[in-house]
Amino acid sequence: MEDLTTISQWVFTLGGYKIALNSVTLINTWMIMGVLVIFSLLATRRTKLVPNPLQSLAELLITTFDDLVRDALELDDRRYFPLICGMFMFLFLCNVWGIIPTFEEPTKDLNTPLGLGILGFVISHYSGIKFKGLKGYLRVYFEPIPFMFPLNIVSELSRVVSISFRLYGNIMGGAIIIIVVSNLVYSLVLPPFLNVFFGLFVGTIQAFVFTMLTLVYISTQIK
Amino acid sequence: MALEVQILVKGAAYLGAGVAIGLGAIGAGVGEGYTAGFANRAISMKPEKAGDVLKNMLIGQALAESAAIFALVIAMLLVLMEFQANAITAVALAAAGICMGFGALGPGIGAGFPAGRACEGISRQPATSSSLSNTMLVGSAVCQTSAIYSMVVALMLMFFDYSTRAFNPNAAALFAAGLSTGLAAIGSGIGEGLTAGGAMQTIARQPTSVGRATASMLIGQAVAETPAIFGLLISMILLFRVYPGAESVITAAALLGAGLSMGLGGIGPGIGSGAAGEYALNWLGRNEEIGGLLTRTMLVGQAVSQSTSIYAMVIALVLIFVV
Amino acid sequence: MDISGADIIRAVSLLGAGVAMGFGAIGPGIGEGYAAGRACEAIGRNPREAGLLTRTMLVGQAVSESTGIYALVVALLLIFVV
Repeated sequence: MEDLTTISQWVFTLGGYKIALNSVTLINTWMIMGVLVIFSLLATRRTKLVPNPLQSLAELLITTFDDLVRDALELDDRRYFPLICGMFMFLFLCNVWGIIPTFEEPTKDLNTPLGLGILGFVISHYSGIKFKGLKGYLRVYFEPIPFMFPLNIVSELSRVVSISFRLYGNIMGGAIIIIVVSNLVYSLVLPPFLNVFFGLFVGTIQAFVFTMLTLVYISTQIK
Repeated sequence: MALEVQILVKGAAYLGAGVAIGLGAIGAGVGEGYTAGFANRAISMKPEKAGDVLKNMLIGQALAESAAIFALVIAMLLVLMEFQANAITAVALAAAGICMGFGALGPGIGAGFPAGRACEGISRQPATSSSLSNTMLVGSAVCQTSAIYSMVVALMLMFFDYSTRAFNPNAAALFAAGLSTGLAAIGSGIGEGLTAGGAMQTIARQPTSVGRATASMLIGQAVAETPAIFGLLISMILLFRVYPGAESVITAAALLGAGLSMGLGGIGPGIGSGAAGEYALNWLGRNEEIGGLLTRTMLVGQAVSQSTSIYAMVIALVLIFVV
Repeated sequence: MDISGADIIRAVSLLGAGVAMGFGAIGPGIGEGYAAGRACEAIGRNPREAGLLTRTMLVGQAVSESTGIYALVVALLLIFVV
């Protein structure tokens, strides 16, 4: 029970700095990236007018997210599309990864959602400066009255925390509940059911919510 | 002395049981009454659909009752089981009861909203009765997740062995763990119910929007769930951290403060995010082309309204780790 | 176990920090959610003004959040200054 909150790490020193790598998270993340690369290669190899199942899955994903991004940003090009679609595919696989025995969800480690949250934060603010200019970007912080400046900064920063803790909490909470329930009741039905509920159902929705919020933050910055 | 501790543990277990089912019954009572009220109105509008409305009302009420049944299970276990005789166990048992009691309050009330609105919808659009029932089932079931979190924390408080931990700060940590999840579940339970109720209204108005409304409802509910998740996280930290014994009451007060901060802080954002979801879903059916726009606005609004629960979590984390 | 007065003040101020932030978060949470809901309603009525409405919603939420931030500030003061 106690090992639930500890993360296995490789610790080594490099030039006087202690460096810790979360080994399980890293290995699982690389495996997921490998799966995504193989999926993309297989789905786009020999594309046909009448698609095979893999190609139609990829087409479904791409058209859905293309519509979503186009709808939200109203840009002529597709510059944010790869980020959003890739983010969803990666997070979806991360969240459902724990269904396979012995594998662990990388999103169960706070570092993964926090990293992606900071990525979205930096990209959205960079886009804000690029689209509105530095002056237009900064003016937003002094609305409606200049006095609100510190409050606006705090609420802007709280978005990063909320977006990453939302994902982390849902996946971690699901994992804890599955472990606790399977420790308390020796049932063959309940733990697998919970696994499917928290893995597939909650995992998919949370991956989508994370992606949509990143998209919405970008769109509020560039408009 | 041993006998006195035994009495203390028994007393705490009975107190916890009373609080669990007492508070837990409030939610189910309100939710079921709300459903029955709407069902009566629906039947008076369309008496020929009384059978459908009645069936739907009973299913909805059964779902609204499940949170109270979780509370009943915890209360029965607290009354009937034998527990270790030491002071920290007594605190853990009382905390388990309080956690489950508060945790069943919100989901019970919340599950009444979709059930009532579904009854109303059946009388307006009898043709949609099956899709209304199905969506209501999903929406009400999602409402119960925060009650499930409370039940899990209550079970952890009851069945894990805390006897090796020093009483002074650790008892406060366990009590705070119960408060955090239990109180935070109130807001999320009500909020998710509000969102699901909005979805029912939209399906009754525009039967073709079932798919879109269900998807948006699930997204809105998932976001409204966040404060309960934060409460669960803080509870887990409080349950797993073992504090060395202390002389003063400072650490204990800080830990209690952390639990209260996160628990109370989760109520408002949960209800607020649910209200945002309710309006967004309600208007989705009237103007289907802007479904995406409404869902996006809902998400922004919900995310902003949850920032206060983030502040509460930050204060709780500071109280746990810094003080 | 004897507890000095300073200990009690410290303990109560920490407990107070938790209570302040907890209750302080209820109002803004409900209020901001209500604002978001009404903004969704307004967008439903008049989708063409979505940008303006979203901006107004965000400004209104920022203002109603200020009480939550006051609670945060008071809680931090109670923890680190008192």
